[in-house]
Amino acid sequence: MRRPRVQALVLTLALSVLAIVWLLPIVWVFVTSLKLTADIVRLPPEWVPWPVTAEHYQEVLFSSSRTARIGRAFANSLVIALGTVAIVVVTSAMAAYPLARLRFPGRDVVFTLLVGSLMIPNAVVLVPQYVLVQRLGWLSTYQGLIVPEAAMTFAFGVFLLRQFFLTMPGELEDAALIDGASPWQTFTRIVLPLSQPVLAALAIFAFRSAWNDFLWPLIAVNRPEMFPLPVALALLRSAYSSESYGPIMAGAALSALPLLVVFIVANQRIVEGVRVSGLKG
Amino acid sequence: MAQRPVSRRTFLAGAAAAATATAWPRPGAAQSKATITYWNGLTGADGKVMDELIERFTRETGIRVEQQRLPWADLYPKLQVSVPAGEGPDLALIHTVEVPHFANDGVLEAIDEATATGKGFRGDGYLPATWQGGTFQGKRYSLPLDVPQHLLYLNVKVMKEAGLVGADGKPKVPAGRDELVTMAKKIARGDTFGFAIGTSNPGRYTWGFHNLLWQNGANIYTPDLKRAGVSEPAALEVAEFWAGLGGPLGIAPPANANCRDAFIAGRLGMWIAGSWNFTGLREAKVDFAAAPVPRLFKQPVVWSMPHQYAFPKPKSADRNRREAAWTHVRWLTDHVAEWTLKAGQVSASRKAHGDPRVTGDPVLKTLLGQAPNWQVGQPTPKWVAAENLTRPVIESIYTGQKPAKAAMEDLARQINALPD
Amino acid sequence: MTRGRRRQTGTAYLFLAPGLLLFAAFRVYPLLEGLRLSFTNARLGRASYQFLGLANYTRLADDTRFHVSLWNTAFYTVASTLPILAVPLVLALALNRGALRTVLRGVFFFPFTLSVVTVGLAWLWLLDPVVGPFNYYLRALGVPARSWLADPATAMWAIIATTVWWVTGYYLVIYLAGLQDIPRELYEAAALDGAGGWRTFRSITLPLLRPVLLFVVVTHVIGSFQIFGQVFVLTSGGPGDATRTVVQHLYETAFQNFFQFGAASAMAWVLFAIIMVFSILQFRLLRGHTEY
Repeated sequence: MRRPRVQALVLTLALSVLAIVWLLPIVWVFVTSLKLTADIVRLPPEWVPWPVTAEHYQEVLFSSSRTARIGRAFANSLVIALGTVAIVVVTSAMAAYPLARLRFPGRDVVFTLLVGSLMIPNAVVLVPQYVLVQRLGWLSTYQGLIVPEAAMTFAFGVFLLRQFFLTMPGELEDAALIDGASPWQTFTRIVLPLSQPVLAALAIFAFRSAWNDFLWPLIAVNRPEMFPLPVALALLRSAYSSESYGPIMAGAALSALPLLVVFIVANQRIVEGVRVSGLKG
Repeated sequence: MAQRPVSRRTFLAGAAAAATATAWPRPGAAQSKATITYWNGLTGADGKVMDELIERFTRETGIRVEQQRLPWADLYPKLQVSVPAGEGPDLALIHTVEVPHFANDGVLEAIDEATATGKGFRGDGYLPATWQGGTFQGKRYSLPLDVPQHLLYLNVKVMKEAGLVGADGKPKVPAGRDELVTMAKKIARGDTFGFAIGTSNPGRYTWGFHNLLWQNGANIYTPDLKRAGVSEPAALEVAEFWAGLGGPLGIAPPANANCRDAFIAGRLGMWIAGSWNFTGLREAKVDFAAAPVPRLFKQPVVWSMPHQYAFPKPKSADRNRREAAWTHVRWLTDHVAEWTLKAGQVSASRKAHGDPRVTGDPVLKTLLGQAPNWQVGQPTPKWVAAENLTRPVIESIYTGQKPAKAAMEDLARQINALPD
Repeated sequence: MTRGRRRQTGTAYLFLAPGLLLFAAFRVYPLLEGLRLSFTNARLGRASYQFLGLANYTRLADDTRFHVSLWNTAFYTVASTLPILAVPLVLALALNRGALRTVLRGVFFFPFTLSVVTVGLAWLWLLDPVVGPFNYYLRALGVPARSWLADPATAMWAIIATTVWWVTGYYLVIYLAGLQDIPRELYEAAALDGAGGWRTFRSITLPLLRPVLLFVVVTHVIGSFQIFGQVFVLTSGGPGDATRTVVQHLYETAFQNFFQFGAASAMAWVLFAIIMVFSILQFRLLRGHTEY
């Protein structure tokens, strides 16, 4: 049994090296963001930012004269992503419950329609959705970003939650109904508490897709103070591209940093959530 | 799509009424002085100069200016969609070639000459081409501020190494295309390039390509503006030269190189680029000389692109804000010499041209000296769309993806197919 | 219908109402409205427009840039599928039982948490033709430097490489979950039969992983048809039109050039039709071979 252990060790070692290489692009972003402008383009590449500077962070966070501020964009992204999560989780759970647990005419039609809509590419509704949001007066507003984002993920949420609700044992519900609980009470007091893992998975999925969406906010927001992070970063790049990579990389690093922290803290949970939503989707 | 006559989905009407768009922060009734919103694309170092001038303006007049600043390429589509949605600014700074299509699409408010004259803006106070650029189909839509234009930058250190500096220590200026190529070949070796036109992504630099077209008497549209002129022999000659720059001549940097970095790093000898670069080059302490754009084809035309002040159509007229916007344009026009000195852009109005600080600066003097050769884009609402079509085509020529002739003929077809 | 049944129907639709309202207003209505617009010459800011019949569609038949963008999208989709299937699978197999599994899985997964713009900016800088580290190390290894993103021969591959780096972690997690679901006894039985690693992989792992592989292909392909962000950040569709994709072309038609909402809607529906046909084929495949 010696050989397999050596093999495993070599494998682990090789994978660790690969993992480090895998992270180098991110490391390079952070390293660049901390360098003096003159040092950034120096060859051979220097992997230790010395002397170190915070000037690029200062520039993208507080400079008033260029495009959008990254700090504000970050807050916008957070509001949009959390708002989307709230709407998606509530509407999907409410819709999935009767589709899984109640019998009523039209149930299969509704479900087929929702699942079929998963095939609709977002790009197809881009233009008419823009017209709609503009007519509602929702351009450059949070609701103009949150509601379409939520509508995009809703059908998937229903699909995911229905699968889960179908597998739940019915006894508790039946007991509650016999005790005179209304369907709403049954739903909120029994079904939802039992569904926490899958609700968390859906929340993670919705958060990520809203957080990362780029095309819709690119067209639906006309004011820099309302830009979410991806759009603000793209514009940061246009504004600085002929001068220095420093501020651009500082912006990129700022966009990655909180996720890095969240990810280190909740790695297991996030991966689990992705696994659940991925396999069922 | 503010008005949609064909059909209205009534079930949305309720939602529309309930929806509250967050509007620009409006000044409260208690506030006596107006706040105006002002959009511009001054995302470079010139933005900081503008900030300083605006701070002074607010101190002197009490009028607050809220700037919205986006890179030009992003600013224009935003302006186009914001104005019909009632989200447009009180004042915008735009390039001359944007005037026709914004005017045509009803984005800009027409300015009647009486109003302009009443505020002290008169044609004889301006260089004629810049003043003319503010009009479309006989109506005025904007007032010129300054004249960004091309300039030939010569890197003294690089030229010296190639033996192209005279006894007086001044770098030699090429007199024509052949001489430019010969000189550039002397400079080019390894990762040092002899000549470039454009800042970042020289392969896609339409403004440089336009400059060469105009020098050869060609243009994007034929003079009657009815069809594309890019497949005519004079234009094809320019396209062939463009292809040579990207490849066979072996003198220019690759399509997505950053020419400004290269020039600063001493890896580029002769560089045709915008006048907005020179203050930055001075700050970076590059030893450079500036010369007029050389005559590479038939005429010594210099590409220029005056910035224009325009008033986007508001949702509802607000006299107070419009007056405040006028006050701002007036104030900046009166202080344009400061703008010229710090941002490096010569003014469109003549008054500042006699300022000794301006005439005493060799680069600004060179820029003003080019005035007789200035040319701008054609006054058609399709100009900008045609320019967007041109960008990838000239890049495919520059990178050798497509032969010049076939690419330009294809471009002509695309331009002719643009909708009215 | 009994009273109870009717009450239940009412309850069901009350539960469904908020979601269906959202769905109707922001999915169904825009979809149909887009179809209607595709038969018009609607443009942003124009007060009125006319119905053109099929003119937008016939014009697309002559629009060479649209054809190029369709071809590029198809090329990207096909060329990226194999690496997207293989790279995470190899990693998953290697990680499946090794030490440090959780940590390494986390490392590979991390890029997936970043936004596409962040990823694009990082790679733009890595691949910089003059001062980027990637070219520097290649040169150090004796490989000639290239402008990866400005060279028509390599630009799309650079975009694919970036995408693989970005999404590998996601598919890795999915593969790992699939591998965990394969009963251990099967491997033990195979080991007793003296089957080698490759044979075990071919006869046990691969067949049992088939549903997961199909899921990955379907997810990836549908996403690929809509690729936009990477291209927008890395190449803007260049050099020339070498990396222009359908969604980018649509975006520029609708929101950059003349705001041609009618023409863009026609493009959207052509894209939709292609995705529909493809999805139906996929579902056939899925239903034919697995018991999903």
